[in-house]
Amino acid sequence: MDDSDEALMARVARGDEAAYRLLSRHHVPVMLGLARRILGNAADAEDVAQEAMLRVWTHAPRWQPLALFRTWLTRIVVNLCLDRKRRAPWVELEAAGEIVDPTPDAGEQAEQSERDRLVAKATAELPVRQRTAIVLTYGDGMSNAQVAEILDTTVSAVETLLVRAKQNLRRALESEIDKDE
Amino acid sequence: MTDQPTSQPWPKFLDAALKRVTQAQPADQAAVNRVLTRLATPLPRQKVALWRMPAVLLDWQFAPAWPRVAALAACAVLGFYVGIAGLDRRFDQLDGRFAIASRADLGSIVFEPESLTGARP
Repeated sequence: MDDSDEALMARVARGDEAAYRLLSRHHVPVMLGLARRILGNAADAEDVAQEAMLRVWTHAPRWQPLALFRTWLTRIVVNLCLDRKRRAPWVELEAAGEIVDPTPDAGEQAEQSERDRLVAKATAELPVRQRTAIVLTYGDGMSNAQVAEILDTTVSAVETLLVRAKQNLRRALESEIDKDE
Repeated sequence: MTDQPTSQPWPKFLDAALKRVTQAQPADQAAVNRVLTRLATPLPRQKVALWRMPAVLLDWQFAPAWPRVAALAACAVLGFYVGIAGLDRRFDQLDGRFAIASRADLGSIVFEPESLTGARP
């Protein structure tokens, strides 16, 4: 039996709950991680992942395979995250201190870990659309066109978001370094 | 920028740091299980798109409903019989009735007198 996302969605559209469970098992871990990186909060990320998968179920009969299922689902998750951030205040990124670093040298690793902590903190304080563009581009390795599709905007708008995000990060990191000195 | 936090050029440092900071972490299996458990509850009703209705009708499969199709066919046969014979005549008397009716009808058509002159054809 064809277990591709599109084939499973065709079955979900006909009300096949087994196909829906399979689709959920495939995608919940990734969507949970994405929501957590955008929201910075594990509990909210769980709510978003659950809500996104429920929307997949309820809207499945209306889904048309014009784009990849993964892109559609990512778009749902990102929209839910943006809605949630509009309502709730920011919570500190929980994973900021747990970044894995492959550098072999211990001293350099500690220094890089500290730098990454600063970058994570500054990223967490970015406006939510800028942070989302950063997470999708750098974290998930998406092209600007894919990010534009998910954020329902143009490629040039995504480029602007990324440029502004980097400017904000640079400003924030400069002030952090000034504070440390 | 003079106070770079690393010896690398700033854009390169920032790109590398952003990749490390925003990369996907391994999934928290407990959280995944919690979400999947919550999704295991009875699912809500799906929203059916109106543009799909013709497709839904064309996709109808009668295979599981053959008894109903047979009942419908039986009703159609019964209706045909009642329509032809009426409720007061047995099926084996149908031939005679048709014969009488056809004779009467033919005669009235062929030998009907002219309405004004009374002449017969």
